[in-house]
This record gives sequence, structure tokens and C-alpha cells, in this order.
Amino acid sequence: MSIKLTTQAYCKMLLHAAKYPHCAVNGLLVAEKQKEKKKDSHSTPILCVDCIPLFHGTLALAPMLEVALTLIDTWCKENKYVIAGYYQANERTKDFRPNQFAEKVGARIAENFSEAAMIMVDSTRFTMGCYEPILTIYDHHENKWKCRDCNADCFEDWCEAQKITSALLEGRSYESLIDFDNHLDDLRNDWTNPEINKSVLHLC
Amino acid sequence: MASVSEMYDVTWEEMRDKLRKWREDNHRNSEQIVDVGEELINEHASKLGDDIWIIYEQVMIAALDCSRDDLAWTCLQELKRQFPGSQRVKRLAGMRLEALEKYEDANKQYDSILQDDPTNTAARKRKISILKAQGKSAEAIRELNEYLEQFVGDQGAWHELSELYINEHDYGKAAFCLEELMMTNPHNHLYCEQYAEVKYTQGGLENLELSRKYFAQALKLNNRNMRALFGLYMSASHIAASPKVNATVEKANVKYATWATNQINRAYQLAGRGTKENKCSVKAVEEMLESITMS
Repeated sequence: MSIKLTTQAYCKMLLHAAKYPHCAVNGLLVAEKQKEKKKDSHSTPILCVDCIPLFHGTLALAPMLEVALTLIDTWCKENKYVIAGYYQANERTKDFRPNQFAEKVGARIAENFSEAAMIMVDSTRFTMGCYEPILTIYDHHENKWKCRDCNADCFEDWCEAQKITSALLEGRSYESLIDFDNHLDDLRNDWTNPEINKSVLHLC
Repeated sequence: MASVSEMYDVTWEEMRDKLRKWREDNHRNSEQIVDVGEELINEHASKLGDDIWIIYEQVMIAALDCSRDDLAWTCLQELKRQFPGSQRVKRLAGMRLEALEKYEDANKQYDSILQDDPTNTAARKRKISILKAQGKSAEAIRELNEYLEQFVGDQGAWHELSELYINEHDYGKAAFCLEELMMTNPHNHLYCEQYAEVKYTQGGLENLELSRKYFAQALKLNNRNMRALFGLYMSASHIAASPKVNATVEKANVKYATWATNQINRAYQLAGRGTKENKCSVKAVEEMLESITMS
């Protein structure tokens, strides 16, 4: 029932927040589509393999979010992915609780994927060294969002995630991160971020 | 570490001109401003002439953004020395206190500016920013409304207020602020497009139709505004799919949505150059087209 994050997913989330420190940012997490529902499928954690940064600045408007969800949904189908989660970092550093908007988007994703997670980024603990995971993960239970502690277990390989994220932050890779907003500004901007994916692989 | 001029092979004049461009465009690329500005100040101060003072101001604000209090302090001291007793410099000192989260001291600083000059808009707006930083959105909104009653022409303030309302999900009031902006800036496609987004988010058939009209207006003003194009498609297809519209309205909106999809397709083809990711987006757009023409 619980989700786990790969290095690439965690990395891109943090790079997105680092690129726009003065704005709220949000995005989606995708997981590989499970071939069939196994009987004991609730014991295998869902692995979020990638992250799609969406917007920065004013988040709470509907039309572009719907466009993004539609386009990303198609991309997911092509790549046998499914939208498995939503992340958000609020504008104010000290504000790391999910707001009404985050819950709405999370609920919408949960409609299509029952084990969807909502992730809030805690910017107060955001450091270049990435010494600890700075996320709070919320699972959807009976129409409510329940908070779960985020520790090394929530990652496929925390040590790797920590090392690589820190390296990319130091190298200012966030300057070249593309979110969906950047894509709408110029269609040539690629929101799948192939270059950053390459850098992550390169450092693995 | 290599200097900016070495890494990018630029002259000090080009660095100075870049800073000016960022100043004019009001870019908040603070890390870059600090990199370029710090080198300019340290290595080429004597060549900058009177430009140096505005550069000190620009670099100081960027330094605050990057938690470079050492650099901010240096810039502030230079400005204090050159312009003793200046309200503008006092405001910068206040901003530094804000960056250090010393909000009470910052407020005192701004209050002292306002005592000498009650019409000082910069100080008033900094006080509102402090409320925003402290999470006191309701108060910030109230103060900003009061400010706008006096300074009705301050477009930046109207825009800030619209954002505050959007964050509080008060889309009606956000729309009002954007209406003010559209009235005074009828050729600004961004305000049109944002207004359309707010109307769309408000929901309901009437608002959807209004949003479609304003997305179309934004496109008229700038036919490369992708958000307006996508918005036109989304609003028209939602209207067409609504059970409350008659056949004529449905047909018209299917036409608009189809037109929009074709334009979107074209835009992606132009941008795509056959890259893998864009092939995907093009496919998604094609699916969008199929879904409307099927109904």
C-alpha cells in the first residue's frame, strides 16, 4: 500500500523546489503499471520511478492542470506508467501542511489509482547536503489523508538518493530542470527532463 | 572557482548590460545576479561610474534572496555612505531585516519611513509583504485592499492581490482584480489569459463561456500564447459536453475546440522536429481531437 521513491523521482522533486525557492511548486509522481493485481499486492510497495514537475507560482488554477493531467496521462499510457502521486512545496518555507488544493488534486489522482500518495516537501529542512529525507507522505484512507513518517525505508536506495541529489544541487542542475510551465512557455522545453535523467544515471 | 567572465567568456561591459536587462525585465534570477554582480563590484567597480549604485541595490536584493548576508551588508554600507538619510536605502535596510526574519525591527524601520513620508508606497507594500511572509493572508488582503483604495493605479499591487485571492480560493475577487488590470491594460494578453483561467476555475456554464471568450481574446492579442490556446480547447470542449446547452451552442463549441486542437497540433509540429517526447504530446493532442469529433 505504501509508495517508495527512486533516486530519479526524489532528485527531480527537490531540483524543482530548488529552482524556484520563492514560489510554490507542484508535480506528479509516476509508477510502473502493475501487470496484474496479485492476491497479496498490498504487501509490495509501489515504486515511483519518475517525477514530472508541473507548475511554479500560482498553483490553484484548474485549466492548465487539466491540460497537464491529460497530456501526462497519454505519455504514461505510452510508457506503461500510471500517475501514482502528487507533490507540492508551499510558497512559505514554514508552511509544509497540505492545503485544500493539494488534497483536491490528490483525491482526483486517487480516483484513478487507489494507492495514490500525496507528498509535501518540508523546505525548512532542505539543505545542500540532503542529510535527511524532507518529505511528508500522506496516504488516502477512507476519504481522509493520513500522514506517514518518511524515512530511509521510503526510498529504493536512500544512500544513493542522498548522494546524487546533493551532487546535482551543488552542480546547480536545477537551472536546466523543465517543468510544465516552462513547456507551455516554449513547447521545445521537454518536461520529461532527459538530460537530468542522464545525469542521475551517470552518477549511479 | 573560475570567474563568471572566464566561464562564459564575457567582458565586464557585457556583464553590466546583462544586469541592466535583468533589472528592466524584473527577473528574479538571484543566484545569477549575485554571481555576475559580485564579480562586477569586486573587480570593475571603478569602471562602472554612477551605474554602480543601482547595481549595489540590485545585487543587495539578490543577495538577500540567496542568504548572502555578507554581500548584502557590504552593498548596504556602500549605499548608506553614498546616500545618507535616503528613504530608498532605509527600505533596503528594512528588507535585510525581513530576510533575517526580524519582522518587528523591519516594521519599525518602515513605520519610521512612513512617519516622514506617509505617501511612501514602497514602505507600505513591504509591510504587507511581512504579513504575507508571516502567513497572515487575511490581514495582508485587508491591508492591500486599503492600499489600493488610495493607490488605484498600482498594477503590481492589483496583481499581487489577485494572487492572494487565488490562494484563498476566492476566485470571484481574484477575477475583479484582473478586470481592473485588463481595463487599464487592454492589450496585455497575459491578464486576459489569467482572467480566463480564474473564470474557468470558478466553474459553471456562464463562467466557462466567459473564460472561452477571454482565452480567445488573449489569442487575438498574442497568437502564440499556448495557455490561451489550450484554455480555448478545454473551455469549448467542456461547454460542448455540457447537458445544459442546445444543439447550436454545442456545434459552435465543437468547432472552436476543433480549431484549437488543430492549432495546438501545428504548434507541436513546428516545435517538435520529431523528438520522441514531442511525438507523444502530438499523439495526446490527436487523441484530444478524436474525443471531441466522436461526440
